[in-house]
Amino acid sequence: MNLGDTAEIRSLMRPDRVHRSVYLDPKIFELEMRNVFGRAWVYVGHESLVPRPGDYVTARIGSQPVVLSRHTDGRIYVFYNSCSHRGAVVCNEEKGSTKLFRCPYHGWTYATNGDLDAVSMPRGYGESFDLKDPALGLGRVARVSVYRGFVFASQAQSGPDLEAWLGPARESIDEMCDRAPEGEVDLGGGVHKYLFRGNWKLQLENVIDMYHVPFSHESTIGAGGRQFGRRPGESAGSAISDRGAAAAKWEQRTAWGARDFGHSYAGHQPVAEQIPDDPVFKAYVAALEARHGRERTLEILRPRRHNTAFFPNMTLQALNHHVRVIIPVAVDRTEIRVYPVKLKGAPEELNRGFVRQLNITHSAASLIQTDDLECFRRCQEGIEAQGSEWVWFARGIDTDRPDERGDLVNNGTVETQQRAQHAAWVRLMCAAG
Amino acid sequence: MPDTGAGQNALTDRRLIEVFLIHEATLLDERRFEEWRDLFDEDGYYWVPLRPDQASPDGEASLFYDDKAIMKTRFERLRHPRVHSQTPPHRTCHVVGNIAIDEVDLARAECTVKSTMIMADYRLKVQRVFAGRVRHRLRRRADAFRIAWKRVDLVNCDDTFELIAVPF
Repeated sequence: MNLGDTAEIRSLMRPDRVHRSVYLDPKIFELEMRNVFGRAWVYVGHESLVPRPGDYVTARIGSQPVVLSRHTDGRIYVFYNSCSHRGAVVCNEEKGSTKLFRCPYHGWTYATNGDLDAVSMPRGYGESFDLKDPALGLGRVARVSVYRGFVFASQAQSGPDLEAWLGPARESIDEMCDRAPEGEVDLGGGVHKYLFRGNWKLQLENVIDMYHVPFSHESTIGAGGRQFGRRPGESAGSAISDRGAAAAKWEQRTAWGARDFGHSYAGHQPVAEQIPDDPVFKAYVAALEARHGRERTLEILRPRRHNTAFFPNMTLQALNHHVRVIIPVAVDRTEIRVYPVKLKGAPEELNRGFVRQLNITHSAASLIQTDDLECFRRCQEGIEAQGSEWVWFARGIDTDRPDERGDLVNNGTVETQQRAQHAAWVRLMCAAG
Repeated sequence: MPDTGAGQNALTDRRLIEVFLIHEATLLDERRFEEWRDLFDEDGYYWVPLRPDQASPDGEASLFYDDKAIMKTRFERLRHPRVHSQTPPHRTCHVVGNIAIDEVDLARAECTVKSTMIMADYRLKVQRVFAGRVRHRLRRRADAFRIAWKRVDLVNCDDTFELIAVPF
């Protein structure tokens, strides 16, 4: 296969199917790191993880180790985690707070915006060597932009700005933030970390897949087709299964996929949200009403989007509030980070309930996510088989319809969202430059 | 009611406590999960933090933080014929050691026990080894121990894990 030939790459992704090599070929994975993760706006972290100057977290943009840091000027900087001298990682911790980043090897130090602070024993360098040269700082990732606390970075010097890139998918971030009485979310509630022996796209394709739920998660569905309760105080959860098939009202869920940049969401079940009759939730509703009034509060509480997948590496879930980050490690190895989302200004007890519930649904020892991880592992192993060249994403293809923006809309247990992801993949993989 | 006499002596009897901890581990290795759950007192909980020195499970993610209601849901799922992540199941082997009685509250008929555990699990050609420091809060009721809480601090608590099914 000649991966320099865009026609070859296009031939791997057809509207209704994907060639299995897209999950298997290390050369395609390398190209994805350059052309997808090297060009896209990639989610790198959240402002609430670095509230004070000097706070930092480490992250990856595809294969690239980076540091997200809040500098003394209060701004967020994202730079490569690699000393300008001999390349060692300057920051070994996942998170922390510091005045300077100091390379352990020869002691070069860097400010919290990545600028070179000092070189040890500088007189050893000749006069031709300019220690003031900005190029000696830690390399900054080309573009950084923040949307309501969500920090994205792009390694491409030019391209659409973040708001244009996010497009209508921004509203999923808005919905989540608007549910916080203070209009902001807090991701400082720890993190679940797991890995699976499979390709990164398996997770991205899964989060907005409403077809798999009654089957992958059959072990969580009790009598009457209802899942266990997912919210504090709930004795039973959603109706998922009806005699072995997806419950009928799942077919009314909205399926949406952006044709340009590949974001997508699976809508919520079209049922009125029952406002739980407990004092904690009532206090939460009162806090929202104090800010927004009754009408807007009811609108905020009405669920519209269940899972949103921001191509290529972040997902938001509204049911069990969390942000999920996909970290491709190798063509057949992926790490996941799951951050509980706390709503600022909501009663502490409510946020504790969200965090606690997420342990049950999405820790590495959870009752939900573990079955997904097993399915990803099995996909990776099974796709090795030569029985079929193709992995199918044809469900609902005849009923996809464009919305006013030209994005794809459908309903229910379709694969519309994955088709949008694949279209964006082709566009980035084949883009010039 | 806290009992007296032999019951209180049991709280300081390292051999009795060791027998109890080994029994507890054996229940997990033999996948007798419901019996393991029965060892917990009604308000008992099982906690595996995701960070060294994590002060509380409240407001911060945990690998496990199960009360008896969650344990019930967890083990019902593990018994489901279509629990894919346990088809086939993990096999496990726990080793309990370094048992020390840390604190005794005779008035409440409770004690805290420190131990270490090593658990190997195996599934589909992958064997893993977990190790951790364990603390049990035990209550002596009638002639038996009940677990008020059990905390397991894995040495790699903040690691990136493949799926986990069996408690430590």
